[in-house]
Amino acid sequence: MRDRIEGLIGRLVRASIVERVAIAAAALVAAVVVGGVLVFVSGGFASCASGLDLAGWTFCYNPMQVYYELFLGALGHPLEGGWHVHNFSLATTLRETTLLAFAGLSVAVAFRAGLFNIGTQGQLVVGGLLTAVTVLFAARFVPGGAVGTLVLVPLGVLAGAVGGGFYGAIPGALKAYGGANEVITTIMLNFVAVGVTSTLLSWRFQDPESANPQTRAVPEYAEIPTIPVIGYSPRLDFSLLALGFAVALMVGLAWMLARTSFGYELRVSGVQPEAARYGGVAEKRMTVASMTLSGALGGIAGAFWVLMQHGRWLENVPSLGFDGIAVSILAGNNPLGVGAAAFLFGVLSSGGRSINTATDVPPELVGVVSGLIILFVAMPEFFRMIGRQFLDVDEEPGRGTGGGADE
Amino acid sequence: MSESEGDTVAGRSAGESDLAVHLDGITKRFSDVVANDDVDLRVERGSVHALLGENGAGKTTLMNVLYGLYEPDEGRVVVDGRERGFDRPRDAIDAGIGMIHQHFMLVDTMTVAENVALGNEPRKWFGLAVDRARIDREIRDLCDRYGFSVDPDARIGDVSVGVRQRVEIIKALYRGADVLILDEPTAVLTPQEVEDLYDVLAELTAQGKTIIFITHKLGEATHAADAITVLRDGESVGTVDPEGTSRAELAELMVGREVLLEAETEPVETGETVLSVADLSVIDDRDVPVVSGIDLDVRAGEVVGIAGVDGNGQAELVEAVAGLRTPDAGTVRFSGRDVTDWSRRKRIESGMAYVPEDRQERGLVMPFDLVENAVLGSQRGPAFAGDGRIDWAAVRDHAEDVVGTYDVRPATTDSEAADLSGGNQQKFVVGRELERDPDLLVATHPTRGVDVGSTEFVHDRLLELRREGVATLLVSSNLEEVRSLSDRLAVIYEGEFVDVVDPDAVTEEELGLLMAGEHPEGTTESETEPPVGGEGGDER
Amino acid sequence: MSDLLSRRSAAVALAVLAAVTIAAGLVFPDSWVGTVLSVLASPGTHTAMLRLAVPIALAAIGGIFAEKSGVINIGLEGLLIVSAFSAILVTFRLGAGESTALLSNHWWGFAVGVIVSTLFALLFAAVCIEFEADQIIAGLAVWLIALGLAPFASRIVFDSPNTGNVGTFDAVTVPVLSEVPVLGYLLFDTGPDVYVMLIAAVAGWYLLARTRFGRWVEASGENPKALDTAGVDVRKVRYAAVLLSGIFAGLGGAGFALGQLGTFAGGGETDIGGRGFIAIATYLFANYHPIGALAGSFLFAGLDAVQIRLQTYGYAVPTELIRTIPYVTVIAVLVLFGKTRLPEAAGEPYDPDED
Repeated sequence: MRDRIEGLIGRLVRASIVERVAIAAAALVAAVVVGGVLVFVSGGFASCASGLDLAGWTFCYNPMQVYYELFLGALGHPLEGGWHVHNFSLATTLRETTLLAFAGLSVAVAFRAGLFNIGTQGQLVVGGLLTAVTVLFAARFVPGGAVGTLVLVPLGVLAGAVGGGFYGAIPGALKAYGGANEVITTIMLNFVAVGVTSTLLSWRFQDPESANPQTRAVPEYAEIPTIPVIGYSPRLDFSLLALGFAVALMVGLAWMLARTSFGYELRVSGVQPEAARYGGVAEKRMTVASMTLSGALGGIAGAFWVLMQHGRWLENVPSLGFDGIAVSILAGNNPLGVGAAAFLFGVLSSGGRSINTATDVPPELVGVVSGLIILFVAMPEFFRMIGRQFLDVDEEPGRGTGGGADE
Repeated sequence: MSESEGDTVAGRSAGESDLAVHLDGITKRFSDVVANDDVDLRVERGSVHALLGENGAGKTTLMNVLYGLYEPDEGRVVVDGRERGFDRPRDAIDAGIGMIHQHFMLVDTMTVAENVALGNEPRKWFGLAVDRARIDREIRDLCDRYGFSVDPDARIGDVSVGVRQRVEIIKALYRGADVLILDEPTAVLTPQEVEDLYDVLAELTAQGKTIIFITHKLGEATHAADAITVLRDGESVGTVDPEGTSRAELAELMVGREVLLEAETEPVETGETVLSVADLSVIDDRDVPVVSGIDLDVRAGEVVGIAGVDGNGQAELVEAVAGLRTPDAGTVRFSGRDVTDWSRRKRIESGMAYVPEDRQERGLVMPFDLVENAVLGSQRGPAFAGDGRIDWAAVRDHAEDVVGTYDVRPATTDSEAADLSGGNQQKFVVGRELERDPDLLVATHPTRGVDVGSTEFVHDRLLELRREGVATLLVSSNLEEVRSLSDRLAVIYEGEFVDVVDPDAVTEEELGLLMAGEHPEGTTESETEPPVGGEGGDER
Repeated sequence: MSDLLSRRSAAVALAVLAAVTIAAGLVFPDSWVGTVLSVLASPGTHTAMLRLAVPIALAAIGGIFAEKSGVINIGLEGLLIVSAFSAILVTFRLGAGESTALLSNHWWGFAVGVIVSTLFALLFAAVCIEFEADQIIAGLAVWLIALGLAPFASRIVFDSPNTGNVGTFDAVTVPVLSEVPVLGYLLFDTGPDVYVMLIAAVAGWYLLARTRFGRWVEASGENPKALDTAGVDVRKVRYAAVLLSGIFAGLGGAGFALGQLGTFAGGGETDIGGRGFIAIATYLFANYHPIGALAGSFLFAGLDAVQIRLQTYGYAVPTELIRTIPYVTVIAVLVLFGKTRLPEAAGEPYDPDED
């Protein structure tokens, strides 16, 4: 009986989708455990009035409390009294989820095409600035109110997509026609994006009434509208419409990858470029096209960051693009998985603030935990080894390419 | 097939003490595949011993066991009368065993001397520096002793394949090897280089070295070896003396039944020219001209074969025709249109099918299932994707047809391409391409790795297409295959056609000379003029 | 060959440009060209350049070892961050300006910085070699972990993402030799971090070009199977190479922190500010040559030094734009001067059982 159950589990462990989800979950647990140890140990070096005394050494931090704040604080403490779904923390979590979903999709699309787009951050920066500038400019010619919203919001998002798409197309073209490795060029272009946008800002677009490096604010009617009654208050900087748009993009991209000729070609290019060439895919154009699409998604993330969160572009752009890499990797580069992964990272991001207010643990912990998640997701072999040890799963079945039986 | 201990002591031809290597009952499994099943091998000192068998018979696996790359699941390895257990190549090297792999184990960016000494560098200055002078001296000594001429300072990336093989041999000798294992050493050589290799082997055995020679070519085994052990499906089916064994007997041992080498080709009325290649030249990625001014016509209902030693430009020629490589000069015309600048996709859509040389790199997307693989090449075509969306139901039907018709096993379209055996992968690719309803079929090694029964089926399908008027350009390293299927046979050498011959009239010896770039005595234009129209072969 | 030629012609073009600038500056000393020239000629700029080159050059040399062996270490930035931070932290805790066991606490901090970086590299090596992780993703993870860990620890100890100030190494002045013009202040009156950099560059070159380990590193990255069949354990070679990248990057991070910064700001991009990525660019630019990487780091650090000095002259330099020059240069180099050829097997885990 036990054998049979183990056999069943073994087969499940081998099944690829189940395996991927299992590995993502295991990576999360492992990162949380390691992060917890880190919190506990570092508590030994902090100073506090009361803590856990062990062998004459005082440990100030309680990892359980930290994770309680991290995960439940991000939802606004649903287990405590007076909880309401429209709370500030949950709004923050969902806002981050939305932005991370766009960024994650950006990375995922490139990944599926076999391209490692580390430049989502730069594409987001450029797209966001173009959104703000375009909307500020167009607002002069557009009436306010609902008409303004209907014109300016799509225009702003489009501008972000165009800006990001263009900025993504650069490394795509450099790779296709110049042979430059996209990992290197996108990293470099991130720094270039920061330099160029802040130069542009001080040259033209700085808000003259502010000492902070930022553009002027777009008119209120140009921000992403919220749904009355069931939606979140505009003061919370989150709109369900934006989340809905993100979900629609996820589904749309999943459909595109699975059902369309373009999606098929993109996937073949990603797993086996030689086979794509053989199958008649115009590889160079595919490289540019997928990087442009990826960049456009990054630009959309920038557009929503501008139009939903701040109402203006700020020089200090949060690292949504890098977190997007984590989201995509955790999701196995699957557009639908990006939703779940984005929510998790949204929780981490928002929970970081709860940690800051409710405990003495530095909120940078969240960055460490995200890094650990990526690290663990990157090493599925680690979990397979553990899995094999405990479940006694057979070795992987022999593959056509493996072994020595082919000579 | 295993022998008992008693047999070993009694000995058939040599006592244990005369054996340089004795593999006793070796079994090696890869998960559920048994690559070697209770194999025995007895190699006499100072002899050339051939290990003969088809691809996949387990020859390389057996030698990797001897070399310490694989650990056997069962059996003993005895070297020089002492039982050994090699965990890693280092142990085998220390025991005096050297291996020259089919894919050379050389670092292209390093020099001959650096490669020879790799892992065994002598040091000076208390181990702080490599003693380069000493390496050069020792290489020169080895070259003098065995009559090689190799420049120790040449970069491996710059020297010919023959020289690389020589470097591999020097590398093994440098490490003090007494037993040299050569894995398919002739596969990449020209006939002249093969002759040179035989001389080297003779020189080595004359100086007391022992050679184990892995090959799937009958002629080489009988020509060069003192003894031949035949492997089939992972089992050893016998050791024979080449003097007293006919080639037919050996062939039967290899494949396990009598082989019918000829496919029957009845003459077919040829139609108009489908493919016309004129003055085509290709320069490869390293700026080396690999195809120079080739002219070639293939008519409807005709099979034109290309014979030649691998690496003489046939791969690049085919890629230029198929649209995977941009020619440097010349034109490719297809069904009367100049397609030289056409994209690969346009060529597919206008009726060109292509069975590529490398099914695992090109022909199949390994992590995709067979349904998804069935649409590769047609993903934008009207049959399955008229409007940018792929009709997966239709693709699935098509995939099931191919799997059924071409006997792909396991007979399900849900398996990943990677989970199929090499032969079944090949059958699927061939099936997909042949069922494209093409005007032109370009096929490279269409039956490589495919079992005998399926080979016959593929050959029949090729001839059926020929009857239906498809033009076929066939490249194969299997001479029997190109000879039996082709109406005309072009021989390629260093990127040029040496000659175009009638495959039924030409002898194997003549083909061999042509493949070495030489014209056999008495072969004249009139004799070799192709029987059915066309020109080509103007490089005489 | 053609790559080499175009690299050379680019160098010639640069030299011509430099000559024209110098001529113009000499003729019109009061113009901005003249100011640039005087900045370029000032010893202060040169000294600053050397010190700013420390993290770039050392991380680049470390990166060369890892990548040549077949493991792309994109986490160099992270290694610089952890080594710089821990060097400052330990020096601070032990007491800046004091000594422990006869050795200045700055050196203890330096040593710990190198050790911490090496431990991170060990973690990275295990993840990539043992568990066959994707090297790019694992490298990014190392960077992100370091990016979080440094300010995290800093907040615990200093209650702020920025550390306290411990001051920098004293310059080491060699009597007599330091009086030699130009070479004197450059090489004989400078911080120990600069000496470490110069010695490490030569040592790195020697190790790669002259020892058997260097050969093995190259073979491990180009054709690991060849190395394996020659009886050398590829995994050990790769472990050693990645650990070396940790040591070199640690020398760079700790040297930069204690030689130039004196304190460590852990907010945002931290004080390292992308120098680890510039290091990657530098070694690609130098085609994996340690001495070339040293020269390349002078170029990029020099740009930084000039820009900083120009600002002190009151010129409204578009700082942000100038900062992008190294990055744009790298892209231009990648595209124009041919594809810096990555080692054949870089990025792939080595599996001896695969044919």
